[in-house]
Amino acid sequence: MAIVTFFSRFLPMVLLSRRALPEKVKWGLEYIPVAVLSAIVFPILFFDRKGALTLQPQFLFAALPVFIFAWKVKSIWGSVVLGMFIFWGLGFLL
Amino acid sequence: MGSHPWREGAKAAAPIVLGYLPVGVAFGVLARRAGLAPSEAGLMSFLVYAGSSQFIAVELISEGITWFPIVVTTFFVNLRHLLMSSTVSLYLKKEPLRILTLVGAQLTDESFAVAMSQPSKIQNRSRYLFGLQVTSHCAWIGGSVGGAVFGSLIDHEGYGLPFALPGLFICLLVLQIKSLRHVWLMIVAGLLSLFFKWLVPGNWYIVMAALLTSGIGVALRTRKTGHRESEGSV
Repeated sequence: MAIVTFFSRFLPMVLLSRRALPEKVKWGLEYIPVAVLSAIVFPILFFDRKGALTLQPQFLFAALPVFIFAWKVKSIWGSVVLGMFIFWGLGFLL
Repeated sequence: MGSHPWREGAKAAAPIVLGYLPVGVAFGVLARRAGLAPSEAGLMSFLVYAGSSQFIAVELISEGITWFPIVVTTFFVNLRHLLMSSTVSLYLKKEPLRILTLVGAQLTDESFAVAMSQPSKIQNRSRYLFGLQVTSHCAWIGGSVGGAVFGSLIDHEGYGLPFALPGLFICLLVLQIKSLRHVWLMIVAGLLSLFFKWLVPGNWYIVMAALLTSGIGVALRTRKTGHRESEGSV
């Protein structure tokens, strides 16, 4: 497990950090953070733990204010704490 | 006194620590339940250091499945790091091999996201990345061992803790949005990830959605630049 995990994290570091990349590859890599993060976040809001596609109200209603807060305030700590607080509160309501 | 990239990185890891501790504890609890000793849970967290595949491994171990399927699953679950590692490598052009080895070994979804929220901080500053990643790794190992030892005493589902990492990811996603095109790509990637997760079993949806979205982004940009060039030439 350690070896195969290491492989996918290490290999591109070495191969790509040592050569000049074509412009289009650079553009593509520039979009990877947005794309990867979005692909991690959306399924959390719309899939349950067993992998079924359903709305996750507790996650959704906590995610929206965090999204707006992060947009306006740009604070990582604040967003995490606010999200946990709202999620916790929603646990009593929903 | 210069700046301390190491300490700066360690501080930037704080939200990750908040997320890793409860998830690490959850892992420790499950590992214990699957029959692993606290030392084994800790060792796995030290060597493998990959949340979702460790959870899968523990699940498979408790079902009595042997090592080979676990290793294959781990490989595919963590292939998404190929993309992240490629992106980070752009900022570490001049680093020696041993540095890249260490930094690469500790790359996770969370450390990648925090690092990319301020790319200027990692530009040829591997020590900042070290501070960030070593701190996160310690939280993960500490949580795992703590969970394996004291598991039943800790409520790792309470106090909004299940939302610690989702909250972190949402904020880091927002911080990545720097133009209207990023907003569109976020929506495209989100919808594609839902579609692929629904369509394909396993963790493929992240790689598939991210690659396709990034490809769409490049195609749009190519077309736009192409237009501008032809306008210029006319």
